[in-house]
Amino acid sequence: MRSLLRAWVALPFSLPVGFNAEEAHNIVKDCVDGVLGGEDYNHNNINQWTASIVEQSLTHLVKLGKAYKYIVTCAVVQKSAYGFHTASSCFWDTTADGTCTVRWENRTMNCVVNVFAIAIVL
Amino acid sequence: GCWQHLSGKMEDYQATEETTFVVDEVSNNVKEAIESAIGPGVVAHAFNQWTTNVVEQTLSQLTKLGKPFKYIVTCVIMQKNGAGLHTASSCFWDSSTDGSCTIAFGLSI
Repeated sequence: MRSLLRAWVALPFSLPVGFNAEEAHNIVKDCVDGVLGGEDYNHNNINQWTASIVEQSLTHLVKLGKAYKYIVTCAVVQKSAYGFHTASSCFWDTTADGTCTVRWENRTMNCVVNVFAIAIVL
Repeated sequence: GCWQHLSGKMEDYQATEETTFVVDEVSNNVKEAIESAIGPGVVAHAFNQWTTNVVEQTLSQLTKLGKPFKYIVTCVIMQKNGAGLHTASSCFWDSSTDGSCTIAFGLSI
């Protein structure tokens, strides 16, 4: 199956040279700044904000034109005296795949965005 | 390392159901891993260790399924206190073979 794909599929992507986490970090941070910057936690808008963050981040990452599948997750939590813990674990090709995490906060909320990039092997 | 292992096994899989993401099967594995990691009997003050335990046990159970998939497992744990928590995710992948499932778990502690 995979050798058939090599013969017949040609995608207009540049070959990945390892995931550029810094580039992804900057892209995502700009998206979060744009959506949440200057805003206070608001129950009415929060769903729209998290959806905007993941959609805009994904759009910008795909526009890089690199041969990756992407998974972008975003969690926004209202600031309180209580704890908020996240963790992730991945089973993949450590030489080609990669991840970056953007942590953002303001006076009323914390935001954690994870980007996972899986190299497309042709 | 792990990619070579998966490539070697891919030739063994003929049936399509073994190479597509089966949400129900994965959901059950995740629930078992959560209950094992932070269920009754787990010490309460190890709160900051729970997220690590959940993702590690979940990943371990999933890889044991022996299917030709890479996996990404994330976990969020938050104390119930009335504050809002919202999550979203978006994916750019091959929708015919790739998939996801989300388990929301409420505990009384």
